[in-house]
Amino acid sequence: MSYLRHTAGRGRRRNMASMTAVVETEGLTKFYGRRKGLEDLTLQIQPGEVFGYLGPNGAGKTTTIRLLLDVIRPTSGRATVLGADTRDSAVRGRIGYLPGELALEGRERAHDFLNFMADVRGGVSRGRIDELAERLDADLSIRMGQLSKGNKQKVGLIQAFMHEPELLILDEPTSGLDPLVQQEFLAMVREVRTSGRTVLMSSHVLAEVQNVADRVGIVRSGRLVAVEDVAALRERAVRHVEFHFDAPVPREAFEGLPGVRDVTVEGANLRCTIDGRPDALIKAAAKFTVVHMVSSEPDLEEIFLTYYSEEAPRAHAGA
Amino acid sequence: MPTLVRKTLGEYRRSVIGWLIGISAFLSLYLSIYPSIRSNPDFYQQAALSKYPGPLKDLMGGLADIASGTGYLQTVVYQLLVPLLLIMFAMTLGTRAIAVPEEEGTLELTMTLPIDRRRLVLERWAAFSLGLLAVALVTLILVLALAAVGDLKVPAGNIVAAHTGLFLIAFFFGTLALALGAATGKRALALAVGGGYAVGGYVIETLGKSVDAISWLRWVSPFHYYLDGRPVFQGWPVGDYLVILAATAVLAMTAVLAFERRDVGV
Repeated sequence: MSYLRHTAGRGRRRNMASMTAVVETEGLTKFYGRRKGLEDLTLQIQPGEVFGYLGPNGAGKTTTIRLLLDVIRPTSGRATVLGADTRDSAVRGRIGYLPGELALEGRERAHDFLNFMADVRGGVSRGRIDELAERLDADLSIRMGQLSKGNKQKVGLIQAFMHEPELLILDEPTSGLDPLVQQEFLAMVREVRTSGRTVLMSSHVLAEVQNVADRVGIVRSGRLVAVEDVAALRERAVRHVEFHFDAPVPREAFEGLPGVRDVTVEGANLRCTIDGRPDALIKAAAKFTVVHMVSSEPDLEEIFLTYYSEEAPRAHAGA
Repeated sequence: MPTLVRKTLGEYRRSVIGWLIGISAFLSLYLSIYPSIRSNPDFYQQAALSKYPGPLKDLMGGLADIASGTGYLQTVVYQLLVPLLLIMFAMTLGTRAIAVPEEEGTLELTMTLPIDRRRLVLERWAAFSLGLLAVALVTLILVLALAAVGDLKVPAGNIVAAHTGLFLIAFFFGTLALALGAATGKRALALAVGGGYAVGGYVIETLGKSVDAISWLRWVSPFHYYLDGRPVFQGWPVGDYLVILAATAVLAMTAVLAFERRDVGV
C-alpha cells in the first residue's frame, strides 16, 4: 500500500499538487441506512487528467459519482467539484455526466431532448449536436422510449460531451456500445484530455480504461484500496517478448539479464518474459542480427487483479 | 417561460388532452340530458330519491332539487363525479412531477442540470398547475356553454365560482400527490395516501352532516371548504377557497423543503 501511495504521488503529479484539484473529496462517506455505500474516500483529481475509477459492481463507484453530482447527500465528509461545493447547482453546468443506469423514456425525440439539455446549460455551439451524432452514428429523430440500449448510450454520451464541459463524469460509459463506437468514444475522451479538460470514468474492467486513463483508482466494498499511475503500472507489467534472428543464438547470451525470465532458445528464435524495462534485453539482442521482434501488450488486468487479491482481506476487515 | 416548465408541459401534453376529452365527454353527456329531466321533474326527483336511500343520499349531496337546473348541476357535475375525475387527473399529473421520473430513472439527468432543487420542484409544480388550469378553463367554458344551451337557469357567476372551487380542490390533491412524491419518491405511496385522504375527506364531509360522531372531523376535510359554501346556489365562498389555497401553498412549500434535503433515486 505504501508503495502505491508513493507512485501515485510522484512524477508530474507533484507539479500539479499546487493547482486546484478538479475533484477533491475528504473523508467522503455514504451509508444507506445501515448499508455501506462508500467509506472515507479521500481523493484528488487534477486538471487535464483522465482518472479511471475501477471496481466490481456494487463497490461504491456509482455512489461516489452520485455524491459528486449532489443526487445523493454524504453521511459525512465533504466534496468539491471544480472548486465549488457539490451543492452549488451552478457548477453542474460545467460538468458533463453520463449516468451508469441511463434512463431515457417517453415520446420526446432525442434531438428535442438534447436541445432542452443544451438550453438549460446555456446553449452549445451550432452544429455541435449533429457533429457528435454523426461521429457516434446516432439517429436523433427516434422517440426516446423507442431507442435501443446502444442508441440510448449514444444520446447519453452526446448530452455529456456536447457543451464541452470542464469535467466529464462518465459512469460505465462503454456499456452497450459496439467496438467501433467504443473506439470513437475513446478518441473523444483523448480529445478532451488534449484540450486540458478532466475526465472521471468508472468501469469494472481495467482494459476499458487503461488506454486513456492517466491514473486508476480501485474501489472495493466501499473503500478506495489503491490509486495507481497507469504508466507506472505499465512499466512494471509482465511482457512476453519474441526475437527472431538470422542465425541460431547461444542461450547464455540472454541468461541472467535483469528483469528477463523464462528464456527459451530454439535455434534462431528467442522467447522470454520481461518485468519492467526491456532495456537490458534489447542491448543483449543488439549483438546479433534481429530479423523480427514481437512484444505483446502488457496485461495490466493481471496486475490489477493481483492488487485485488492482496487488498481484499484488508477491505473486508474494514467493513 | 422557464425551460423546464416548457419541457414539462410538453411531457404532460398528451395526458392533459386525454383527460380533457374524457371529462368533456362526461360533461356533454350528462348536461345534454337535462332537458328531458326538466320536462318531467317529479318523476326524476322521485326516481333519484328512491335510488339513493338514507346515507347514500347524503353521499350524493342530498339530491334536493335534482330536477331544477341548479340542483342538477350541483349533483351531476360539482358534487362528486367531476371532482373525482379532476382529482384523479391532478394526482396523476402531480406524481409525474417527481415520483414517476424518479422511479423511471429519468430524473437523475434532470438533477444534474444547473437547476437547483428548489427551482426544479417549483418549475415542475408550475407546469402541473398550468396543465390542470388548462383543463379547468376549457371545461368551465364547456359547462357555461352547455348550461346556456340546456337553459339550466344558473347564474354564470355561480358556475364560475363553483368551477373555481373544482379547480382548487383538484389543485390541492394534485399538489398533495406531488409533495408526497417529492418527499418519498414513491408513486404508489403518493397515490394511495392522497387518494385515501380524498375518499376519506369526502365521506367525512358528506356523512358528517348527519352523523354527529364524525362531524367534528369535517374541518380537516378539504371537501368541507369545497362543498359547504354551495357556490352553485350561493356564489363565491371566498373564505373557504382561501383555506384550500393556503393549504395548497403549504403543501407546495413542503414539497420544496422535503425534496431539498433527501437522496434521490436510492
